Parts: sequence; structure tokens; C-alpha cells
Amino acid sequence: MQSTNIASTNQCELPLELCAKPLALVGVSGLDTINNAIHKSIWETFSSNRRIERSPVLFKLIGNAHEFPVVKPKRNSYEWYIPKGILKKNWMNKYLNEIPAVIAVFYDLDWNDLQWNEKMIECASRVQSMRAALEGRNTRIVVVLIQDTPPLPSGEDVLGTERAVALCASCELNAKSLFVLPHGDHLQGYVLRLENAFYDLAQNYYYLEARNIKSHREHLNKSTHQYLFVRHQFKMGFLNELRQDNHTAHKHYTHAYNNLLEIRIVDTNAMEIRTIAGFINYKLCRLMFSLGLPRDAISQFRAHTERFKMRIGFQELAFEHHAWMSKQFSVFGDIFDEAVKLGLPAVQTQHPGVYYQQAAQHATLRKKSCQELCQSVTAHPTPDPLENAKHIEFYGQRPWRPGKLSTAESPDPQLESKGIQALQYLEKQVNHSNIVISLFGYAISQYKTYKCLRMRRHLVVQMAEEYYNSQDYGKALTLFTHMLWDYRTERWWLLLTDILCKALRCAFLTANIQDYVMLSLELLGTSTTITIDQKKQIYHNLNNIFKKQIPQPEPDTPMKGIQNASLLWKPVLAAEPLLLSLDMGNIVSCIDSKARFMQNKYQGDQLVIVELFIRTTCPFPLKFNKISVMINTPGYSSEFAVNNLHADAENLIFNFNEVKRFLIEFMPNPNDIGKEIQIGAINLYMGNQQLCYIDLKFNGLGNDVNKLCPDLMHFKRTSRSIYDFDNMKPLPVALIVPRQSKLTVKLDHQQPSLLGEWYEILISIVNDEEYVVENLQLEIMLADNNIDQNTEFCSNDSGKPQNLPIQLQKDQLKTSEVFSTKIYMRCHTIGSRNVGIKITYLLKSEKPVASIKEEIIHVPVVKPFDISTKFLTMRFGEISKFYVGEPFILMPVINCLSQWPIIIQDTTLEFSPLVKEVENASKSQIKGLTLCNGDSGADIFVAEVFKQNDSAINIGQYTVKWKRENGNNITVSQMSITGLGVDWIPLDIELPLPAFGLVRTPLLVSYKFYNRSQQLIQLEMNMEASEAFMFAGYKQLQISILPESTKTLQYNLYPLISGCVMLPKLTLTVPEGSPEGPALRQEQLNSLIERAVPTHFFIMPQSKGIPPRNLGINHIKKLPLYNDACKTRSINII
Amino acid sequence: MAVCVGIIGKDNSPKYFTCLNPDEELGFQYKVLSSLDVVEEKLSSGNKTGSDMRELYLGMLYSLETHKVYGYVTNTKIKFIIVVDSTNTALRDNEIRSMFRKLHSIYADNVCNPFYIPDEPITSKSFDRSVKHIMTGA
Repeated sequence: MQSTNIASTNQCELPLELCAKPLALVGVSGLDTINNAIHKSIWETFSSNRRIERSPVLFKLIGNAHEFPVVKPKRNSYEWYIPKGILKKNWMNKYLNEIPAVIAVFYDLDWNDLQWNEKMIECASRVQSMRAALEGRNTRIVVVLIQDTPPLPSGEDVLGTERAVALCASCELNAKSLFVLPHGDHLQGYVLRLENAFYDLAQNYYYLEARNIKSHREHLNKSTHQYLFVRHQFKMGFLNELRQDNHTAHKHYTHAYNNLLEIRIVDTNAMEIRTIAGFINYKLCRLMFSLGLPRDAISQFRAHTERFKMRIGFQELAFEHHAWMSKQFSVFGDIFDEAVKLGLPAVQTQHPGVYYQQAAQHATLRKKSCQELCQSVTAHPTPDPLENAKHIEFYGQRPWRPGKLSTAESPDPQLESKGIQALQYLEKQVNHSNIVISLFGYAISQYKTYKCLRMRRHLVVQMAEEYYNSQDYGKALTLFTHMLWDYRTERWWLLLTDILCKALRCAFLTANIQDYVMLSLELLGTSTTITIDQKKQIYHNLNNIFKKQIPQPEPDTPMKGIQNASLLWKPVLAAEPLLLSLDMGNIVSCIDSKARFMQNKYQGDQLVIVELFIRTTCPFPLKFNKISVMINTPGYSSEFAVNNLHADAENLIFNFNEVKRFLIEFMPNPNDIGKEIQIGAINLYMGNQQLCYIDLKFNGLGNDVNKLCPDLMHFKRTSRSIYDFDNMKPLPVALIVPRQSKLTVKLDHQQPSLLGEWYEILISIVNDEEYVVENLQLEIMLADNNIDQNTEFCSNDSGKPQNLPIQLQKDQLKTSEVFSTKIYMRCHTIGSRNVGIKITYLLKSEKPVASIKEEIIHVPVVKPFDISTKFLTMRFGEISKFYVGEPFILMPVINCLSQWPIIIQDTTLEFSPLVKEVENASKSQIKGLTLCNGDSGADIFVAEVFKQNDSAINIGQYTVKWKRENGNNITVSQMSITGLGVDWIPLDIELPLPAFGLVRTPLLVSYKFYNRSQQLIQLEMNMEASEAFMFAGYKQLQISILPESTKTLQYNLYPLISGCVMLPKLTLTVPEGSPEGPALRQEQLNSLIERAVPTHFFIMPQSKGIPPRNLGINHIKKLPLYNDACKTRSINII
Repeated sequence: MAVCVGIIGKDNSPKYFTCLNPDEELGFQYKVLSSLDVVEEKLSSGNKTGSDMRELYLGMLYSLETHKVYGYVTNTKIKFIIVVDSTNTALRDNEIRSMFRKLHSIYADNVCNPFYIPDEPITSKSFDRSVKHIMTGA
């Protein structure tokens, strides 16, 4: 029975020999792989590890006594020959596995073997016996000598050459058929070379075989030998495939296919032709894919199926046709898939999945026709008309009439009907659903790869239907319910309803109460397209479940399943009580609900209000038992029910399209302050607690949430009653915030804060709450909790900085009582500061509440004043350098920048050791001065330096003590004053002058030159004439100044005009060519004169009547008076 | 002669669906929905050049054993699908194109109707008549 079963399915299956990849067959003889280790390793090198780069050769071990298939007698004429079929079943196998193209006779023989002659004769006899066994075949025989010694280069081995000739002669082989295989080193390399040689010989063999077949052609005629045309072309194609010549093979298969189509199809040969057409088409398509012609393969396949689609053959065996069609498609899918795996790019509309899908469709048709045709067959007929099936000679023939092709001979009708009956019986045993499902499985995975998700979904639905048909309701239900979501989001209601109805049947048949209730609720909605009567039925069933009764089956439910289902339902309904919890968030059911918080923030002592809208689109009234909301907080979730529902039972019955609004109020947990609360779910309870209690969980966002085009919602027309429902925007999240404080905080301060001062901030807290406040805590810190080294705080007048945060306390503050305190802040850098004030307290209401109030003060910090310092000569001329021993003036100027007036309390200058104050105990010049914004105050000091210094020296610390005009705290600002570089020159000049002179009154002045150095200074002096004076003294002089001594030059000036007049100009020059002496450069001299010698002098007019009483007059008289024309005289001091 | 016509909205939900034989509607709906895979792929491939931008006709989407499915997408992503019998060789590309153009025009007229709410399924009887007219090619 089993064997015949296989035989019948084989009729559309492709035989293995057809699907195998044809490889040239090489027989290997003379190897004893069991006893001889060398032979074994040689054989393994040949046969194992056959990778793609090796020659397409199949090796077969042939024993000594092997019998090859018998050669059929040669036919000289085909004239009287009538073929009995197209393709013999054994032919392909013969060439694949039995008749080798090449036989290699292996023999152990070295050229220098001691028993050479004996062994040569034995070898020759082996070749002879092999030749005898292959009598009539063209198989090539080669001899391979297995040798121990490695071969010598050709030409050197005289003995070898000689003996090889002898061996060839005795074996009757040509020299090219003798090979030597040294088995020592490099076995693999020798084997590969042998293999290639065998492959060449094999190709030649197949070529000759094909040509031999071709030569038969001239004997054939079209009328009686149509089958032979096909057969020969097929054989040539196959032999060329063995030869690996795919192009020629393709050509021959195409001819074969075309010849086949020319044969007239009648009932008796229909199956054979169809079978062979399938074979040739398979070969063709596979070759075309491997030749890189996928388009041709597809069009060949299309033409093929198109041609045979309508050729059903026997009506009684129509299922065979569908099976064959299905096989064609699935096999093509396999070939296509194989090609894709080898790198063929497929596209969305043309890929293997398309063919698997059609294969599945034909498999479904096969099932249908089987159901139609095989219903009545109950037993396998005896005697078995199929018993010959195994031994039948040709492919695709009926076992009960093998080889009977002639149309003239009509088949025996009784035998024929027996045979059909047997086939129908066998077909009935086939599990069609499995075939269909597995084909759908292939198609689904392919469609998924090619991004056809909707097509894939459709296939899954079809697969589920097949599961349903095969009574695997559980799997069908799972698949159906998984597919619902996508059809729902894309709103294909007709399809959704179709799937829902099928799924509902599955849920009923498997007594899956959970899914049954869900599906029922979804089907009761308005989106589904079922009739009101169907809805009524579903509604009744739902009510049955609440009453713990088995629901009525839907129409079209298979009877067999119903009985089984009622057995399944009983235990399900027996549960006490029946509790169900359904997640309705993902489905569009007949109940729609939305929930929101009324505000997005609630204060800690405020009632949280949740607004609920519930609407049903069920055409029949629905009654709920309880409505509640699940509120999630970060740590836990809690359920709040709508109160007072039972008082008004009417309120819980919902009619069609009725919208009801419910409010849920609750106090937030004080621990949740600062956290977010969320509407987790809306729970609607149906049924009653004793019998059946169903908890429907909604997400509170409504059914419309998945709508893709919210912009088009504005066009939607809604009736008044559901207006609120549609327009409500769900607000599922709210924040619990601390209660708002009613304390009033007043801040009194005078911005901006001045750098370095203790800035006063007056804080007044007024209790505007309705209750007494206790445990008031005031915390002062920098905002953002910054710790800043440059900002100090203090809460009292002490002026000692305190650590942050500063905390102040007050035990109790009665209603409208005021609490004030001062804090001080001192900043050492400019910029702004944010000072945070946090007040925490306990409000003594009926239920004490902790409250917090926070304020932030923004304080800019600015400089109160700017100090700039000027350095001047004793004559108030600007200087760029200090000179050792020359006193200078130092003038710090304070520029007030503060917008509040400041009072300078005192200023002092602390000189550094480098600098000495010239007049001791100088007092501050600006003490007690009030400076407003923009005012300046200047101090003055006279100082002197002792040491030369290239860089600017530090003069000292300048300290300013100041305060705000209305302030109490004195602030001390300090600043170090940086002076100028210090230079040293050896010469000092002094010209003491009286405050003024009088016109025409002689005036005696003396220029004092002081040499600070240890060397002699020699200078040339020149005194220019001045219009304002006549003078007596040297006009031009060479002066020499001794080390550390003073030289005085006296002049008697006689002023001629009054006013501020220019003195005669003194110039000093360094004489040229004076090598010795301290370095004194000309520009130093010039700047010294500019610094030390006054250029102008004030001359008063002579008062009338008052005789001049200047002491100098006497001197003038004594001195010789020089005029402009005075002769120059040099004075030499030795 | 087309056997089925579908109009699918921007959100891929059907706005209008009709077929010559109302009993086959379910099967056709599955077919039309499946063909949207190809429409989406064609739209997302984005290799449209300037001249192609105005070409709304997508050509044949699927060629099944029994039917051929053609597609057309407006600039507002409204998809028109026409299903033709595979055996019907009278309809060439040009005929299909002109059917689509006519469909588009009557669809535009329908949207202009102030009583039509955009994004709702089309229930207008005159629209239905016009579509049937186009399908039968009369």
C-alpha cells in the first residue's frame, strides 16, 4: 500500500535523477580500499572534498566482477519500430550512475619492478576483462600505474619509456591512455591532474554519444516516430549537460519541448505528455537561470503553464492536473529561489513568492476537486490496478495500460474505471491542507523579503483559512487575531469584518472565551459590515456568556466542530466566578471611551478631577456594573471608581450612540508632590460578580487615536450628542505641584551692590494666609546652590561672613503679622548675583500643610569708583620714568562710578620699601569729601626712589575708606599703585629761582651741576641768548665736574620785559672724543634739562616809586657784565 | 472593461470600492489592498525626475493569473486602482490611462461637492453611476 502511494504521488513529483546536477561519471577499478591503505588514501583524495573549483566529475568505485547494463541490440532501421513511450525511466539513471564515460584501471607497478613481465601480463588481462565487460560501449579505458618511486623528468627515464611502450602494446592501449601516479608526496596535485585528464576524456565520450544519437535522426519519420524526436532531443540535451555544455543542452531541450508540443494529445497520452513537458520545462528553466537568462526562463514558464492550464485530461482525475500545476509552480519557485541565492536580483513583482502563491492556489483547487471527485470512493479496488506502478518502463504512463499508445486500440473501460477509482482512493488519503499550508509558508517568507507586507497579510489570512479547513482552529485563531491589527489601522472594514467573523467561529470552536468576547465586542461596533440580525445574534451570545450559557454557534460552523466545542465550553464556563480581563486598547470595539485630567497641574491640597466620556455604538443597550479609572504614579497605581452609580442604575445602561460623562474626584497623595500622575486605564465592568465578571480595560485615548489624517477631522460632521466626545482632547498626564503659598515677601534694597561693601537687603515677610504659620524657616543661598568664593553673606552687623545657606527661624507668625530681617551680602567681583530665598513653613489649617515659598533677588554688582594714578615731576610735568634721587609727585585720582553718593572717610598710601616719601606724614587731601556719580577726587604725595630698576616698580598700597552717604558700614578698598621704571644718571642740575623777578632789576641765579658718579664728567655748556634778558656769565664753556661734587655757574640776569618770559636756554652736550667718564647720552642730558631747568620765569613790572631793594644788586655790580657780544672764555678747574 | 475600481485615501483606507460582480468584492478588496505594497514601493523609491513629477499613472502593479492590477496616484496621495481581467486583451495601456484620467476628474468633481466630507467614504449615487460608466467603457 505504501509503495503504491508513493508511486501515485510520484506522477507529478520530479524524479531525483532529473533534478540531480549531471556530472561526468568516471569508473575507478583496481583499488582495494578495504585492505590497502595506499589505495584507500588515493580513493579518498579522488572522492572526498569535491569543491566547486574541481572538475564536474563523479567517481564511482567499480569492483572486478562489476556488471554493466546490457547493451541493447543495434537497430539498423526504424521502419517497423513503434515507440511505446517517450522517455524510459531507467535512461537518465543509467548515464548518471551506471555507465561510466571513462574507466580507470589502477595497478601497482613500478618501472623497475623485479617481476615486471608477470605483472605486465596481469595488468593487460585486467584491462582485457574490463573491455569485455564493456562490450559494445564506447567507454574509454585508461590505465593508471601506482608507483612508489617519484618520476624522473621525461626523456631521462629510458627504462620507463621502453616499458611504457611495451605495456601499452600488451594492453592494446594508445600511449595517451597510460598514466602514472606516484603515491608518495604531492598526491593531491597528481590526483587533480588525473581528474582533469579524465574529465577531458569524458567530455569527448559524451560528445560522441550525442553525435551517435543525432545520427539516428535520418531514420525517423514524423508520422510514427514523434515520440522518438522528443526522446532523442532530450537525450542529446542530457548528454550535453553531462558534458557541461549548457548552451547546446539548452538548444536540444528546446527542440525536445517543441517536438513534444507537436504530438497530438489524446486521453491515453495526456498524462505522459504533461509529465514529460514538466520535465523538459524544468530542465529548460533551470538552464536558463544558470545561463543568466532569467527573463527567458520566466517567459518560458509562463508559456508552459498557459499552454497546459486548460488541458485537464480525465475529468475524473482533475485533481491530478491541479497537483501537476501546483508542482510546476512550486518547482519553478524553487529554481527561482535557488537562482536568487546565487545572486540573481529579484524585484517586488517578480520573485519566487509569486510562484509559491500560485502553487498554493492550485493546491487548493486540487483539494477542491478531490473533495468533489473522491467523496464516493471508499475502498481500494482489488486486484490492485496500480501494482505495476513500480515496474513501469516509461515516465507518465498509467500502470494498468503501460506502453499502449495507439489511439486505435481503445482502453478497456472496466480496467480504466478501476484504475481511476484506485487513484481517487489514494488522492483521498492525501493531506491537502498540509501541502497548501506549507506552500503558503514559503510564499509568506518570500513576500516578506520583497516588502509586500499587505500581500503577506493576505496570504497569512488564507493560510489561517486553510488551518480552519483542516480543523486546526487554534492555529487559525492565532493567525487571524494577529492579522486584525493592520486591517483595522488601514480601515478596510469589509476585510476586517470577514476576518472577525472567521476568527469568531474559531474562538467559538476552541472555546476561547477571552477572544470570543473581544471579537464579539468588536463585531458589535459600527465599522463592521455585518447585518443587524447577525449583530443581534452576537449580542445574544454575549449575554449568554454573562449567564454562563454556551453561546449559539454562528451559521456555517461545521457540525462536527460544534459538538466538540460544546464539550470544550463546559469547563470554561464552570469556573467560579468567571473573571475575564480584556485589554481593549488595541481594538476598535463598540465601546469608545476617553478620559482626561481637567488641569495639567494640581496643587497638593487640591482635588484631582478626571473627566470620563463613554459612548457605545452597539445597536443594543449595554449595561455596565462599575466604572473606574486606574491612576498610575511612578511608584504604584491605584484605582478610583465612579461614585454613586448604584443610586442611579439608569445611568449605567447605554443605548446606541449615547454619550455619558462621568467625573472622578480624589485627593492626591501628599507623597506624590512633584511627580507626574497618569491615567493608566479606564476599566468598565460588565456582568455581575457572582456569575461572570468582565473587566474591559481601555487606554482612555478613544478609538480615533490611530487616525492618520487628523487635519481632515475638521470636516467631520458630528451630531450634538456626541459633539463633546469627538472634540475632547484626552489629557492623560498631570503634574502634582506643591500648594501655592500666600505669604508676601517684600524685599528692600538699593541696587546695585557696590564692590566690596556689605550690601544690605531687608526682607519682610507678611503672613497673608488665613491661618497661623508655624516653624517658619528662611533659607538664603545663591540661586542654583552655587558656592561662590567671591560672595559672602552675613545675617547681622558683625561683618563676619557666614557659611551658606544662612538659615533663620521664626517659631510662629500670626495672620498679617510681619517678620523682617536684614541680611548682608558682600561681593568681591563685579557681575550679577541671584540670591535665593526659600521659606518653608507649616500652615496650621485643619489639616496642617507644609508649604514652600521661594523668591529670587537679582543683584547687579558694580565698582563704586575707579582709581587712576598720575606721576609728575616736581614741576608738574609729565614723566615717563623715575630717576634715582630725583623726587617726583604721585597723584591718585578717585573717579566715582556709583550711582549712590559715597563719602571718602580717609585715604592713606603705604609706601613700599623701594620708595621713600619726601615730606613725612602727609595727610589725605580728600578726607571727608562726598563724591557723586562722575565726580573725581585727587590725592597728592611726593616721593623719591633710590635704586635703578628697569621694570615698573611697586609704589605701595593705596587704601580708601569709604561708605555710602546714608550707610553705616565703612568699606575699606585697597589698591596697589604701580609706578614707572627707574633710571639713573650721573648728573643732577638744579636752578633755584625766586618766585619772581622785577624788570630791570638784576637777578643772580646759579646753575648747580652735581656729579653723582665716581668719575669726572666733562661737558660743553652753551647758554643761548634771550630777548627778554641781558645776562652776565659764561656763554659757552667746557665744564668738568669732579666725582661727587658740585659745580656752580652763576649768571646775573637782567630782565628786560615783564611777563612770563623765557629764560636763556641752557644746552649741554657731551664733547666728542671723550672716552672716559660715565655713560651719559645726549638724550639723557636733554631730558634732564627739560625736567630740572625751568624754561620760563615770571617777571613783574617795576612798581613806581619804590626803589629796588634786591640784595642781588650788589653782586651784579661786582661781576663783570657781559653783553651778547661777550667773548667766550673757558674756565678750567684743575 | 474593468472588473473592479477602488479609490484609496491618503491613509490607505478605502474611500470607494466597486466591482462588476458584487459577490467577488471581498476577493477584490484583498487583491487591491495587496497591490498597495507595490504602490508604496513605487512612491518611496523616489527616483522621479522633473518630467516624471506630473506622471500620476503608475502602470501595472501586479499581473496575476486571472487579473491585472493597475495603479494611479494623485498628488495628494489618493490612489486609484483598476483591476482588469487577464484575458481581456482589448485594453491597452492607453485605454487604462484614459480610464484613470476620467476617474480622477470625476473624483475631483466629487470632492468639490460641498456635501462631501473629505476623507469619508464616497456614497454618492451619481459618482457610482459615473464610475460604472467608465468601467464598462460605454
